[in-house]
Amino acid sequence: MTTAIKENNEFKNVKYLLTSSMRTLILVVLYNERKNLNEIRNELKKPSATILHGLKELEDNNLIKKERKYYSLTSNGYLLATNVIKLINNWYSIETNKIFWNNHELSGIRKEFLNKLYLLKDVEFVSSTTSDLSNAFNTYMTLISSAKKLTIILPIYSENHFKYFIDLLKSNHLKHLRILVNTQILKSMQGSRYIKKSLLENEKVEIIESDENLKLFLTYSEDFMTLTLFFKDGHYDDSQIIIGKNKNALKWAEELFRSYNGYGD
Amino acid sequence: MAVMKMIIERNYIDEDMMFIVKSEIRLKILTELNKQPQSIKEIVKKTNMAYSSVSNNLNKMEYKNHVIKENRIYELTPMTQLYFNQLMEFKRSVDVVKNFDKFWDKHDLTYLNDESVNNITELYGSELIETNPIDIYKTHNNVKSQLKASENVKGILPYIHPEYPELFEKILQNNGRIELIIQKDVYKIMSTQIDAKLRQKSIKNGNLKIHILTNNVDIYLLICDKKMNLGLFKNDGSYDQNRILNSDTKESLHWAKNLFETIKQSVI
Repeated sequence: MTTAIKENNEFKNVKYLLTSSMRTLILVVLYNERKNLNEIRNELKKPSATILHGLKELEDNNLIKKERKYYSLTSNGYLLATNVIKLINNWYSIETNKIFWNNHELSGIRKEFLNKLYLLKDVEFVSSTTSDLSNAFNTYMTLISSAKKLTIILPIYSENHFKYFIDLLKSNHLKHLRILVNTQILKSMQGSRYIKKSLLENEKVEIIESDENLKLFLTYSEDFMTLTLFFKDGHYDDSQIIIGKNKNALKWAEELFRSYNGYGD
Repeated sequence: MAVMKMIIERNYIDEDMMFIVKSEIRLKILTELNKQPQSIKEIVKKTNMAYSSVSNNLNKMEYKNHVIKENRIYELTPMTQLYFNQLMEFKRSVDVVKNFDKFWDKHDLTYLNDESVNNITELYGSELIETNPIDIYKTHNNVKSQLKASENVKGILPYIHPEYPELFEKILQNNGRIELIIQKDVYKIMSTQIDAKLRQKSIKNGNLKIHILTNNVDIYLLICDKKMNLGLFKNDGSYDQNRILNSDTKESLHWAKNLFETIKQSVI
């Protein structure tokens, strides 16, 4: 029975940190900044007694410390607060684009990246509508037309895309195009003389071959990233796209690409 | 900060997820179902929980669309699985903090950047090496044996152990590579103890790279071929020689290399 008792507490710390809004909020409020009771009360807009109770609990558990009327996080408190905020942002990030995440096959995004969706917290979700069926696709094309450097995980054979890439290369604005494709699609591309000559053998193009079954269409340049996915039934969906333009989203995309590229350069 | 404001002002955790987080039983059921779809009986057997409470909670969760039942087999809905995995990631981060409590507590974390703290779960599976009265050189000897067996070493070194120069010399003699972020004074001492010819040759052919620091970096990070080692300063400003966090997992090596590169960028 000892193991059963021990296992009963498996989630004790998780529950401690998340189930009391007061404890959670105090950790968040003190993140990166020491504050006195007055300042904490002004931010949380809760009665002093409730706040003092929460502060006492956290102090007893060595997550915050009090020095001359000022409360601040301890080392442990700082580590946990950072990860509480990450969790809340992760959940918020899914919540914001729930339709996108719920509609698609997510196996192409490795687990460690699904656990870092907080980095995509501020992305924009663009969906095609019945009046504009290619809204997402056109948004994508406009976006990549101003890029100087593009990196793409390409899971589909699409002449529309290839033509557009070739045009961009010809216009001389696009200086470097790096494409990761799987063997099967690469073979199809090699089968077309036009694509072979204008894309595969173009000196500005770098092709990386992968033996994986790729389930994501990921693109990034110096200042944006986009992601489209497959439906759960296996069909590619070009009607919904997410677009990120901040540092975090770019970082997420770059690292995800690197994980497919075997962490090589 | 905008993020804080957002968390404080809206319901900080989604009601549906709070429903799960609040109950140890539901958390355990979902942990089981996250491994594989299964029946009530199987869950009861694996968790030692009462049949009635498992079944009762499964019903509630089915009603709230967290799980679906087909032919008596329950499985997580895709959205709940996504949310739940992030909760498990959070749990791992809590475990990393709690398991190495003595390592973090009252130590200076200033040199861990936001990213490394956000990715702290990559240190899951590490081992805390602590000296003890009968083995006061345990931390050093551990590092020493790694240095002896390594060809490729990267380090942020706030001090140089008297044995390091010789160990480094051996690595360079064997045509290995060393890259160090180090303070000027510390480098001066070290460089006099490494054969001058070998040192100059190694710097020339790129096997020895030294990045000189102008200000302090109060952290110890040593990445060897198979393991990474992390040491911290205490809040009083002294280096804690008695504890290192040591790990050979792929994730922790990734974590350490990232931190090394970030600190390198900030000093160059």
